[in-house]
Amino acid sequence: MKLKKRLIFVLLASLLILGLTACGNKDDGKKATDSGDGKLSTASNSDAKSPDNDLVIAIEGSINSLDPANIGDTNSIATTRGMFENLVKFDENQKMVGQLAKSWEISEDSLTYTFKLNEGIKFHDGTDFNAEAVKANYDRVIDKDNELRQRRTFVETKDDGTESFRVESIETPDDYTVVFKLTEPWSPFLNRLSQFCIVSPKAIEEFGNDIMNNPVGTGPFKYVEWEQGSHTKMVKNEDYWGEKPGVDSVTVKEVGEAGSRTAMLQTGEADFVYPMTSDQLAAVEDAEDINILKNDSNIMRFVALNKLIPELSDVRVRQAMNYAIDKEAFVQLMYSGYAKPATSAVPSIIEGYVEQEGYDYDLEKAKELMKEAGYEDGFKLTIWGDNTTQEIKGMTFIKQQLEQIGIEVEVLPMEEATRNDKIYVEKEEAEVNMWYVNWSASDFTMDSSMRALLYSTMIPPTNANSAYFQNEEFDKLLDEGLKTADTEKQNELYAKAQKIVWDEAPWLFLGNDQIIYATKSYLSGVYVAPDGAFNFANAKLAQ
Amino acid sequence: MLRYSIKRILSIIPLLLVISFLIFMFVHMIPGDPAKMITGPDATKAEVELVREQLGLNKPLLTQYKEYMTGLVKGDLGMSVKNNKTVADTIVPRLKPTIMLTISSMIWATIIGIGIGIVSAIKHGKTLDYIGMIIAISGISIPGFWLGLQLIQKFSVVLGWFPTGGLESWQSYVLPSLTMGAGIMAVLARFTRSSMLETMREGYIRTARAKGLSEKFVVMKHAFRNSLIEIITVAGLQIGGLLSGSVMAETVFSIPGLGRLLVDSINFRDYKVVQALLLFFALEYIVINLVVDLLYGVINPKVRYD
Repeated sequence: MKLKKRLIFVLLASLLILGLTACGNKDDGKKATDSGDGKLSTASNSDAKSPDNDLVIAIEGSINSLDPANIGDTNSIATTRGMFENLVKFDENQKMVGQLAKSWEISEDSLTYTFKLNEGIKFHDGTDFNAEAVKANYDRVIDKDNELRQRRTFVETKDDGTESFRVESIETPDDYTVVFKLTEPWSPFLNRLSQFCIVSPKAIEEFGNDIMNNPVGTGPFKYVEWEQGSHTKMVKNEDYWGEKPGVDSVTVKEVGEAGSRTAMLQTGEADFVYPMTSDQLAAVEDAEDINILKNDSNIMRFVALNKLIPELSDVRVRQAMNYAIDKEAFVQLMYSGYAKPATSAVPSIIEGYVEQEGYDYDLEKAKELMKEAGYEDGFKLTIWGDNTTQEIKGMTFIKQQLEQIGIEVEVLPMEEATRNDKIYVEKEEAEVNMWYVNWSASDFTMDSSMRALLYSTMIPPTNANSAYFQNEEFDKLLDEGLKTADTEKQNELYAKAQKIVWDEAPWLFLGNDQIIYATKSYLSGVYVAPDGAFNFANAKLAQ
Repeated sequence: MLRYSIKRILSIIPLLLVISFLIFMFVHMIPGDPAKMITGPDATKAEVELVREQLGLNKPLLTQYKEYMTGLVKGDLGMSVKNNKTVADTIVPRLKPTIMLTISSMIWATIIGIGIGIVSAIKHGKTLDYIGMIIAISGISIPGFWLGLQLIQKFSVVLGWFPTGGLESWQSYVLPSLTMGAGIMAVLARFTRSSMLETMREGYIRTARAKGLSEKFVVMKHAFRNSLIEIITVAGLQIGGLLSGSVMAETVFSIPGLGRLLVDSINFRDYKVVQALLLFFALEYIVINLVVDLLYGVINPKVRYD
């Protein structure tokens, strides 16, 4: 009798577990195939129609602010681009084009930038867009009391509190001409202006620094509401000066969990989800009404090696460590192949990138270099990084790889603010050995891709050069690059700089991510730029 | 009873004072600098210092605490450094989703949990008991995160009955409340069962049965009623946990509630919001405990308050 009851118990328990696992995602081993044109999988059901004309975007992470002059995170930047516009912008092919400015000229000495503005444009509150509006925005941004992040585009503040202005003057000779005069040539200026959004001067006056809750621009969509931690809603700007938006409204929903985002796409509650994590692809790649797309990114993944650590001060050790990392395996393990092994200190989509040679996976060579450096028996190091599952997985991979050449690695995941507290300290107090991190330059310039992380003066506590890499020749090349407007000459300088970094190996060069996103088949005109900023200005839903 | 109630309510004040001090100190002891979070990673030391000064973070901790308490007494919780709104304006819109979810989870979890517990106790050692306990063990052992995602997959994606997330209609509450309530249902089922079994072994139950009272009467009037005090104590503690521990369900179902706000605020080192939320959760625990204590007297008039 007792045995019978136990049997019933076991049977019931097994049924319950089977029932629950049957609800799980079906993974029959199929994998999205890469067609090479940026599409991983194309929907077959082309007759699909949108249930309404409202675009819903589900994103990971949160919107931190809607004040375009005071944001640094990609999601907030991408969302505000629906409501605000810049003088110039990058188009879908990463080419610089005019937006509020119809044309521009750069003087031969690279000191004067003259913009001719488009006429007849109005802000959402009905005020006119003109040269004065541009000046009002510039004035707002450089005002120290406003403490806006974008101030750093125009003013360089040093640690001792002194400041140098990059722009000597801004002039408005007529209503539709703006002239920026720089104090000295600064090649990233135009790229930086592609992030300088123009806010309505009336709104600036009325709301001051509460623009974050009252965004008024000239863009294709007008602000409706922003509920933090939930969503941001915009409606079509009926009076938009350019091509009218194809959708009636846009809602950007914050959905942190990847599985929930995928489910939203499957049920049609979202029309566009970003990012699509590689482990979620199997759930939707056979769906008849879902397109999966990919794009190369400007995200550089690396491990900074602190040169202040005696063992890491030897270039042979750093090179040995690079030889010990199987980058192909890294890309497969971490991103299911949707990333590219790093071949320079900068991602391949940055203008001036040059593919470097060496650091193919070669354990023999690595061991040889370790022996030469006198560390045949290895040594111990710690690696710091974020405490997310993905980052811990990455650090564990590095640990396993380096142990092959005798380097014992302790993985120390840390919450972001805590880790920043430990990284950004005075040089004498630096404790970091290795930092598993990633970086992307939102202005896509070679200078931004390297300066903050490798330039001599950019060492902590202020900046992120946690490799404590200091190389005079490299600094000189970056400085010259900054002062040159001639792209060809600039590329030559940056080619040399990349070679120095590669040979000196202040980092473990790991890879460049690929961005994966998915849309309903009835949605067109949306894309995710290489910096991870989604773009919905030209979105259309088939009705 | 009245005197006891007043005494208990008044005792909350010193308790809250101590808690507020501990919360303030712990929050300020977390590594990480709000000024650095506001100014961004590429800010200079001078810029960070300026913000620290504006936020009053360069003052001694005790002075900051004094200022915080002075504001608190006046009903001013301070400003959130993240969104340029007052702490009250930040928290209030997040209250409703979490409270609604807590209540809906608690209602079904209590009814079903206690129901399963009673049936299991009555049918002790029989098939129904096993089924009840399998449900209870599953409720405790299945991770909420996984359960939530499976419910979305089955009931939203495959069947299309409920939305995947958000809180727009009553349907939106079903899946998250199932996810949040599963563990509590299980705890209550197991607790009710064991408590009932223990009571049913007591002499007075045997006496009641010997007196010829109906089994239903014996179970509900004698056994269940006497187990109720313990069940309510456990249920009270569970509600407290639900309100502050809703992070998981709010994340899976993209609900802008208090749990997610707490995590976001900790990540951003938004001290004022974190302090206010922790204080709110502490107060809620205290109030629930008080209600539970007072309920003892209602359930069992023999309980005396001195």
